[in-house]
Amino acid sequence: MFEREDETVERVIQHLRRPMAIDPGLDARVMREIAQAPSPKRRARLLLPLLAAAAVLATVLIVARPWIWNSASKTDALQFVLVAPQAASVALVGDFNDWDPARAPMETAHGVWATAIRLAPGRYRYAFLVNGVEWRADPGAPAAKDDEFGTPSSVVTVGGRGS
Amino acid sequence: MAPRGVTRPRPLSLCDAATYAMGIGKVEPSDAELVRRIRAGDTGAYGALVSRYRDRLGRYAVHMIGDREDAEEALQDSFVRAYRSLARCDDPARFGAWLYGILVNRCRTTGARAARRRRMFVHDAQALDAARADEADRLDWTDAVDRALARLAPDYREAFLLKHVEDLEYEEIAGLTGAGVSALKMRVKRAREQLQKYLREAEHV
Amino acid sequence: MILAALLLVTQVATQDPRLERLDPDTRSAVVAVLDSARDVGLPVEPIIQRALEGATKGATGARIVAAVRRLAIDLGTARTALGTSASAPELEAAVAALRAGATPELLAHLRDVRRPPLTMALSVLADLVASGVPADSAAAAVLALAPTARDADLVEFRRAVERDIALGAPPGAATSVRLNAGALDQPGANSASNNPNSPRPRSRP
Repeated sequence: MFEREDETVERVIQHLRRPMAIDPGLDARVMREIAQAPSPKRRARLLLPLLAAAAVLATVLIVARPWIWNSASKTDALQFVLVAPQAASVALVGDFNDWDPARAPMETAHGVWATAIRLAPGRYRYAFLVNGVEWRADPGAPAAKDDEFGTPSSVVTVGGRGS
Repeated sequence: MAPRGVTRPRPLSLCDAATYAMGIGKVEPSDAELVRRIRAGDTGAYGALVSRYRDRLGRYAVHMIGDREDAEEALQDSFVRAYRSLARCDDPARFGAWLYGILVNRCRTTGARAARRRRMFVHDAQALDAARADEADRLDWTDAVDRALARLAPDYREAFLLKHVEDLEYEEIAGLTGAGVSALKMRVKRAREQLQKYLREAEHV
Repeated sequence: MILAALLLVTQVATQDPRLERLDPDTRSAVVAVLDSARDVGLPVEPIIQRALEGATKGATGARIVAAVRRLAIDLGTARTALGTSASAPELEAAVAALRAGATPELLAHLRDVRRPPLTMALSVLADLVASGVPADSAAAAVLALAPTARDADLVEFRRAVERDIALGAPPGAATSVRLNAGALDQPGANSASNNPNSPRPRSRP
């Protein structure tokens, strides 16, 4: 079908402008690469990374793409990550585990705290509890704005049947 | 010609953009704040910047390079380079634009390598099978667009993408690429002409 | 028999061991809210979780009880808007949307134009507002997308808007641009199943 030429180009542009989702695992790969070979060009006051020269630093939330499981109502594991090199303990607490710090203590490698849990479809509020006292939201996730208890929380929504 | 300072890429401008009030304050820290933290020792804060720019820059890389894997490699590489030369980012509030420049240059390297390998756009196997299953003789429109884009000269493709997809101003593109504004305008014009031509050809296949 | 079963359910609920984390006064107030909620057919699990959140966070009993009561009321409002067939996750997401500024009318309209589950649509609406998008812009955007967009598309839309905001766009403008740029698949030419750049597995339109 005949189209005016600039209409064709406009269609092309609209097509190309569609947002693209890049593998969120790229974040972790970047952070690993950065940690492995500290830059000599960094300013001298970066004391901590120098101390942690072998540190592996991960990203903010790496959420495995929930829409992949959209067609089935099975549960799948989502990964939660927090970078907290100074922490002695980090627990993931939320609507999926009764906000019980004992249920999902996170494991650490060089300042990166991570855990994976299975979530049925639904919307979950959650947060990280650092050293048993400090509350942190997940920097990479949407914020839970209706926070009634004075501490930050985040939200993760898993789609699919059953939600 | 000395390029003007590169400003942050802006979205498509709307005449009434000013009428939209800023909503609730952003929950996340600004680029400048994150850079400040990173320079102060919080290397982990870089993860937030990566997360923030990953998809947007990834889109450019994928379209420019034409291969998803190569694009992600270029993107990853650019992020690492940006981190390692963060001290040279003069204006942390314009981290995004600065990062863009690194990516644009990095994509040129990949483009040259890919051209040498005569790499074509690679579709995932499923899409290829399905395309064959659908209609063997007629290319899907989006495939045609990808192929047309790949046929453009790299300079033209780069200028076209930066102008029309990434919404940069010509002055900004000049700053990133080192080309003159009039040369860039010519490249964009040629790119448009060639895209139309290739797509018309594809329709007649 | 039925009465006995009902009593049994009530017994079990009041003996929910998780609530033992609350002090006795708070616990009994919370149990009262749970009983009322159950009586009108509202899901109790979200209410329990909210109480446990407060307990873990060391909130005062008064604050916990206030939060729990507010949630029960909002769940009721959500259920009135969405209908009795709404699932617990849908109601929870609806509460978030209501608190973000959506009206019950909007929720009802969403129910009319989109096949269940509505959880993701409602969640995205709330998340957009949390990113700074004005409530009416977010509502308009989600309503516009709701009839045809898949859950995955809504998530992608939200992430795209958040990226633009991170790059400096006013939140309302970012939403409009993304919406008008056809950020989602429309039935027809640009179906994502034929897009090699799509991260999703191929599916037939």
